[in-house]
Amino acid sequence: MFRFALRNLLRRPVRLALATGGVMVGISVWLLLMALGDGYRAGLRTELDRAGIQLMVVPLGCPYDAAARVLKGRSLETSLPSEVLGRVRSDPDVSLAAPLLIVSTPREDERRSDLWVGLDDSGRALRPWWKAAQGAGWFTSTNGFILGSEAALIEMRSVGDRLHSPELGQTFRVDGILSRSGTSDDSLFFIPLSAAQRMVGQEGRLTAVAVRLRDPARLREVMQRFQELPGAQVVTMTEMMGTFLRLLGTVRSLTIALTLAACVVGILGLLNTLLAAVVERSHELRLLRALGASRSQVMGLVILEAVLMMWAGLLLGVAMAFLMGLVLEPMLQPLLPLAPLDHLLDWRLVRLLQCLIAGVVGAFLAATLPAVYVGRLQPAGALTP
Amino acid sequence: MRNKPDTEPHPILIQAEGLSKVYRRGSETVAALHGVTFEIRRGEFVAITGPSGSGKTTLLNLLGAMDVPTAGTLILDGFDVASLTESGRTQLRRHRVGFVFQHFGLVPTLTVEENVALPAFFARRNDARQVSELLETVGLGHRRNYYPSELSGGEMQRAAIARALVNRPPLWPADEPTGNLDMQTGLTVLGLFRRLNADGLTVLVVTHNDVIASAANRRLDLRDGRLMGPDTGPTSMPRVPAGPG
Repeated sequence: MFRFALRNLLRRPVRLALATGGVMVGISVWLLLMALGDGYRAGLRTELDRAGIQLMVVPLGCPYDAAARVLKGRSLETSLPSEVLGRVRSDPDVSLAAPLLIVSTPREDERRSDLWVGLDDSGRALRPWWKAAQGAGWFTSTNGFILGSEAALIEMRSVGDRLHSPELGQTFRVDGILSRSGTSDDSLFFIPLSAAQRMVGQEGRLTAVAVRLRDPARLREVMQRFQELPGAQVVTMTEMMGTFLRLLGTVRSLTIALTLAACVVGILGLLNTLLAAVVERSHELRLLRALGASRSQVMGLVILEAVLMMWAGLLLGVAMAFLMGLVLEPMLQPLLPLAPLDHLLDWRLVRLLQCLIAGVVGAFLAATLPAVYVGRLQPAGALTP
Repeated sequence: MRNKPDTEPHPILIQAEGLSKVYRRGSETVAALHGVTFEIRRGEFVAITGPSGSGKTTLLNLLGAMDVPTAGTLILDGFDVASLTESGRTQLRRHRVGFVFQHFGLVPTLTVEENVALPAFFARRNDARQVSELLETVGLGHRRNYYPSELSGGEMQRAAIARALVNRPPLWPADEPTGNLDMQTGLTVLGLFRRLNADGLTVLVVTHNDVIASAANRRLDLRDGRLMGPDTGPTSMPRVPAGPG
């Protein structure tokens, strides 16, 4: 029966290719969207959870943009008033307040910018994933700096090397090189906060203050107090993640709606192909009935053809999704805030199973009308050509 | 009328009494058969003749359990065709009828061997040796893996004959079996018919061909849906070449 169904499908290769092509596109887009959603959500959660902070004090402006930039290690045009750090640290509910200053130094000859992140000792506690691949895991001098793994590769530096920045007029010494973490830290230059502030010639300048609370349940009260800080605003990590996920969810809902529409079109295409095929083969199907095929046997043949076509589309769709993922992943990573550096797309077996089940259901839906048509065919017409 | 056949084969394979068939085309009704009555015994070779539109195909549809009569009774191998369900008629076609079509009716995507095995497959039987033997019987052993498009007309009809035999049916209706063959090939196929009939198969041939008709033991002549006159009775055997195998 399987071979019979397969050969029936191969009678019209162009028609088969078009029908399975529709399914393939729908499935591949669906899988990609699911992998993107799952990967982004997981990456975001990991990135935010790992730091162990509950909120961030950022300069006025869009708080989510500011927080996202800080977490990604990107500079901000604005800065926090110098007294903010002291007020945050003096709050009784604050366990840790880690100030940071991000400075961007353009390398025009190489058409890129180096990003220097200034941290004080409190910042060490917010980076539990830091492991030194070479040298020290923290600054040993005020002019020492630590390189992320990718930054070290690009700069071709080793521990002890000195780096003179003509733009800044300062010489720095490599204290340590970090192991790859899969986060934005990999591409950054870390220096002591005071050195970063000297770079910009502004003592006390800060890009943000990351805050860890003694009791996360007190978040609401702390938020209310920090909202009153002049020139600053507060964003919680939960809000931030919620905002990004909502944004992602909205985009995903729209694209899922479009993908579902594509899948419906794919199923209609399949239905049309099958219907055309059975109408074309009416005489042959009557003949099978005359030879002793039962109604359910000929209907089963049509359903099997639908399932085969759908599964061919599914397999091709899965392959296409993986290939498209390889191409799209590096293109999407810089566009999404807080995108995980390692893998933006998270391929989950459960999504694949969902596709396979949806494929079987879709095949049955597509086969219903042609199967009913076939079931109504009477063998009596077999004698007339 | 019985719904189950006797344990012993009934000597009368087909019993038709007052058989009528009326088709409806919109508000119009077309009577294709008018009260046809006849009997066919096991092992007979019967030719159904008559001009176009005389009701031959309609009669063959009824005798092959592919359709039900509008009126009258048709007992086929002990089964009352009209009282059977759709599934019952399928079973009857599967096990008791082996059709041979004018246009061969081979499935183009299946090999000769697969085509021959098709009715057995529908009956959920798999007897590769029997298929091989049948192919040898009809002289197509060397063509078993060929597709119908690679065969000549005579080979296609011989494949169709082997297919009709695969479930060992007692009745073997054939619709113009030599209609698409040249004279020589037609006579070869006819020889095969005679040989199978001699082995005990009941052959029922619808034909325009006088040679085929005269090879039959008996002739049922239809005119405007009515059986004309008494049966022609057994005829003398024409000289036909022996079938292949």
